[in-house]
Amino acid sequence: MLTALIIDDEAPSRDELKALLATEPDVQVLGECANAIEGLAAIHRLRPQVVFLDIQMPRLSGLEMVSLIDPAAMPHIVFVTAYDEHALKAFEEHATDYLLKPIDPQRLAKTLNWLRNGAHPASQAPPVSIELLRQVPCVSRNRICLMGLAEIEFVHTDLTGVQVVSAERQGTTELTLKLLQERTLLARCHRQYLVNLDHIAEIELLDNGAAEILTRSGKRVPVSRRYLREMKDRLLIS
Amino acid sequence: MFEEINHLALIGDLMQQMCVYLVVAYLLSKTPLFAPLMQVTVRLPDKLVCYVVFSGFCIMGTYLGFKIEGAIANTRAIGAVLGGLLGGPVVGLAVGLTGGMHRYSMGGFSATACAVSTVTEGLIGGALHLYLLRRHQADRLLNPMIAFGTTLVAELAQMAIILLLAKPYDQAARLVAQITLPMVLTNSFGAALFMRLILDRRETLEKYSIAFSAKALRIAERSVGILMQGFNEKNCTRLATIIQEETGVGAVAITDCEKLLGFVGVGSDHHLTGTLISSPHTLYAIAHNEVVYADGANVPYCCSVSKDCKLGSCMVIPLRGEANRVFGTIKLYEPKSKFFSSLNRTLGEGIARLLSNQVLAGKIEEQKRLLVQAEIKLLQAQINPHFLFNALNTLAAVIRRDPEAARQLVLYLSTFFRKSLKRTDNDVTLAEEVEHVNAYLCIELARFAEHLQVEIAIPKDLLSLRLPAFSLQPIVENAIKHGISQLLEPGKITLSAQRQDGLLTVFVEDSAGLYQPKPDSDGLGMNLVDRRIKLRYGDAFGLQVTCERDHFTRVAISVPVNVGPGPC
Repeated sequence: MLTALIIDDEAPSRDELKALLATEPDVQVLGECANAIEGLAAIHRLRPQVVFLDIQMPRLSGLEMVSLIDPAAMPHIVFVTAYDEHALKAFEEHATDYLLKPIDPQRLAKTLNWLRNGAHPASQAPPVSIELLRQVPCVSRNRICLMGLAEIEFVHTDLTGVQVVSAERQGTTELTLKLLQERTLLARCHRQYLVNLDHIAEIELLDNGAAEILTRSGKRVPVSRRYLREMKDRLLIS
Repeated sequence: MFEEINHLALIGDLMQQMCVYLVVAYLLSKTPLFAPLMQVTVRLPDKLVCYVVFSGFCIMGTYLGFKIEGAIANTRAIGAVLGGLLGGPVVGLAVGLTGGMHRYSMGGFSATACAVSTVTEGLIGGALHLYLLRRHQADRLLNPMIAFGTTLVAELAQMAIILLLAKPYDQAARLVAQITLPMVLTNSFGAALFMRLILDRRETLEKYSIAFSAKALRIAERSVGILMQGFNEKNCTRLATIIQEETGVGAVAITDCEKLLGFVGVGSDHHLTGTLISSPHTLYAIAHNEVVYADGANVPYCCSVSKDCKLGSCMVIPLRGEANRVFGTIKLYEPKSKFFSSLNRTLGEGIARLLSNQVLAGKIEEQKRLLVQAEIKLLQAQINPHFLFNALNTLAAVIRRDPEAARQLVLYLSTFFRKSLKRTDNDVTLAEEVEHVNAYLCIELARFAEHLQVEIAIPKDLLSLRLPAFSLQPIVENAIKHGISQLLEPGKITLSAQRQDGLLTVFVEDSAGLYQPKPDSDGLGMNLVDRRIKLRYGDAFGLQVTCERDHFTRVAISVPVNVGPGPC
């Protein structure tokens, strides 16, 4: 059984692919998403084996989305695009394959065969792209938004997921703390916290050797003993 | 009684002397030497000229004078006073000294007194120069009445000095009694006339240049833009008429390198437009890129068309285009009965330059237009491949679900392509533009489904108004591509139009509000539409974008109503 997810902003396009995949008894479509931000969440939640991914989508393109997927959850990526000017870039992003719209069923069958028989799990190949993120896709109060990195004060994990906090708003992101630490300038200050150094107003040193950060908007962020040394170095405090 | 006659005779003699003096001054006024004297001199070289000229007049005045009782009755004072007036105290002093020394060398009992008085006269002129300059009344220095008054005072001063310094006193007194009236009168009068001469000369020159600039300006004003519309028989005839009227020459012709394009004036009965150039002067001017002037005397002129032609002189000036290449000529003629005025000869070259520039500007304008036209054609031909394949993909999906809807979609698609490929250069009605846009939007509606909403609210009575073809679709395409399709939530496109004060404005509004001005890159389609409208109707029309971030982007396309189709 091959589990699949369809991410495309055009409904007819999703319908067409669903219809084509429905003829394959061993392919199960786990869901479909109308944009990359929802798509990212769905990948992390549903863990499909293959994602059929449109490239041109609002705000966050399919190409940009691939670099944000948690490497541990990395599925096979099959780009589906109307025009092949993106093909080369698609392969740089470790796509398994790419299909051209309108989709030729025979060409799709070939891709599926390859996925069934030989394709290695793509998760072993980390994304090549090491560009720093400029914004973080979030969901807050049923609204999808992109939070600019400069506005983020800190990020932390709790039971509901990874929370991104700015002075005015807060959202849940599908990105892991580890990925955010690697792909942004946010600094680790606690096992569960990353902080934006630009938003630190003051650092209060506690008796137990730990510390507490006060952000510019007055929020408190814990600093564990383990990361205090590192924090001080980065802030040039002796 | 005896003394009275003596006075009159002396006045007569001095007047005669004055005449000779003024004739010399008149002749001199025709030379460039006179130029610096026509204004109040400030620069050192001008002051030097002033000194030399007036010293000359001083000495001449002494020579022309005649002996009387061992002294010399003369008109020396004019040189000294005017030198001081026009050149200032230093020049006045220098002229006075020179004239005085010269007089001193001639001897006589009044030699010392005359030398001193000449210096004094120069200084009086200089003092007045300084006084008027300080009071910012430099213009009055050239006033003949001022010259008269100053010389009068200076001459009276001379008489006083003679009485004071010349010995023996009784001889001096007799001399002064005899010469005062004649010398004061003639010198003052002469100085005034001299000044008048200077003023006249100046006015003539000014009149010439005023007439020149006035004519040149009027020709430029009346001919503006004519040749930009094309270098052809109609425009050249219009232009030749204007030039002939303004310059008043006998006839004006304009040719290209082969034939006569326009002829107006004497001899137009046999100088016919469209005929090949036969004049050797014109052929020479074209071949050698030179101005040819056949005055009818030194260089013979004879009409090459008809023996009976009344034209007697001719000037041919080449018209030069890019890289100074000759593309035609302009010819000014005068009949045999009239001389070619130098004014018109100078003007002729100016006119030729004016026409050359106009033709050049017209060519540049034309090239700009062609370029925009070519770009528009390219834009029309270059149907966005994303759009094409996405449309086909949508179609594939719709066929499966709803064959009837798919059939409708195919019709929209063919309408869209037919309109896009038509590549018309002309105006179309707003209805036709809306049909094109509607076909496009129907396909996009199918593609984005519930993600896109479209409202077309254009009043029916505006649908017959005209605008350049392909003005609307690129704007709508932009609104989808850079607006709605970048929204995570559903968006709306609204088309509306209004007519106000002779202006048709079509609005394309999207609910995304993501417009970012990118002058060179993405807005290619929009820039092109804007440039084309501005080029055709002027800078007051074209595109205007209002954007409220995250709320809406509104593009207003304005064109004038009731303007016939332009050349674009």
